[in-house]
Amino acid sequence: MTAPHPVNHQPGFVLHSHAYKETSLVAELFTRDYGRVAAVARGARRPLSGLRGLIQPFHPLLLSWYGRGELRTLHAAEWQGGLAPLSGRALIAGFYLNELVLKLLARDDPHEGLYALYDQTLQSLAAGPGALEPLLRRFELGLLKEIGYAATLDRLAVSGEPVSAAACYRYQPGHGVVPEDAGAGIAVSGRTLLDLAAGEFAAPATLGEGKHLMRALIHHHLGGKALYTRLLLQELAEL
Amino acid sequence: MNPPASLQNLIEALRILPGVGPKAAARMAYHLLQRDRPGADKLALSLNRALAGLRHCRLCNSFAESEICELCANPRRDPALLAVVEMPTDLAMMEAAQTYAGRYFVLMGRLSPLDGVGPRDIALDRLIERALDGVVREVVLATNFTPEGEATAHTIAALLKARDIAVSRLARGVPLGGELEYVDSGTLAQAYRDRRSL
Ligand SMILES: [Zn+2]
Repeated sequence: MTAPHPVNHQPGFVLHSHAYKETSLVAELFTRDYGRVAAVARGARRPLSGLRGLIQPFHPLLLSWYGRGELRTLHAAEWQGGLAPLSGRALIAGFYLNELVLKLLARDDPHEGLYALYDQTLQSLAAGPGALEPLLRRFELGLLKEIGYAATLDRLAVSGEPVSAAACYRYQPGHGVVPEDAGAGIAVSGRTLLDLAAGEFAAPATLGEGKHLMRALIHHHLGGKALYTRLLLQELAEL
Repeated sequence: MNPPASLQNLIEALRILPGVGPKAAARMAYHLLQRDRPGADKLALSLNRALAGLRHCRLCNSFAESEICELCANPRRDPALLAVVEMPTDLAMMEAAQTYAGRYFVLMGRLSPLDGVGPRDIALDRLIERALDGVVREVVLATNFTPEGEATAHTIAALLKARDIAVSRLARGVPLGGELEYVDSGTLAQAYRDRRSL
């Protein structure tokens, strides 16, 4: 008898894992063609399990599983290599990416574009010392766009009128860009909106305003759920 | 038909153990009551005694029966070296290696950003206080080589370096007696990255 719904050698990453029963793990995976998938790795906590060292975040893997429903069965993971382990601030940034994906993406929805961006962002983090902020802003924006929360940045929501670099606007979560005098919404300059729309993160003002805008949008779409990685950074700053 | 209340309470109580579901808890309860009543008695007594008698050592934060544990009170242990481990089991493993002669600090956990375990949930503030006693010269980070253990090590290193304490980390690589044929790819990749010149 063959296993139901087998998927073989699917490129993916482990986002997080937790102990399950005596010797197993449940791994939250982010895969190229299947999006977020949860799977149990039976016996993965046994000392000699071949899966033991592989069910770790931040390493590209080829994953094989079967089954359907909430929890698949992961029966093989192959090391893909090529990525240095994250360390220091890049490691904390990696946890932040994983937390965003876990909390904002629904399971079993493919997001190939975002997967490519995730892969690319991890590679940049692993390649070592470089500015983290542009990488994080690019990923946040990519994620928000992918799930439809920041679809249009270079045009006004109602009129469709193009955003002008010299003007000021507000961004209303769930709605879009509105004129500055519209009242509610996150204040943001036209320059920043155009830079973000074009994927340009070089200007310090764009990074600063972009961070503020993305933070507010993420907060809004998390619906009150806390981001632990952000709390961690705050608590560490107080020690 | 429901089991009697005290039996049901016992089954519920056993379920707090990690990895123990309702079926396993019921099996344990029947075993204790039916097959091994003296064992059950001993378990109840030891649990009570441990709860009443054990506390955290003032110096290393591990479990102790007095204010300062035996290891911390041992004058032959080098007070200038302080190894930081996640759990008492890790301390026991370091001791079994019979090569480290310094003192310890046991965090009783690790930072786990995605589980919401932050610096306030492990004893980071007490570790810093301990490392700054004026006698400790080097802190050896022996947390696990998982992303969580690494994040914990990085955090401690950053906090201590800012306070002028030397910080080192256990090396990683091919295990002793390890034949490359049987070493997992991740370990081998890391061993190559951390290779040293001869
Ligand atoms: Zn002690």
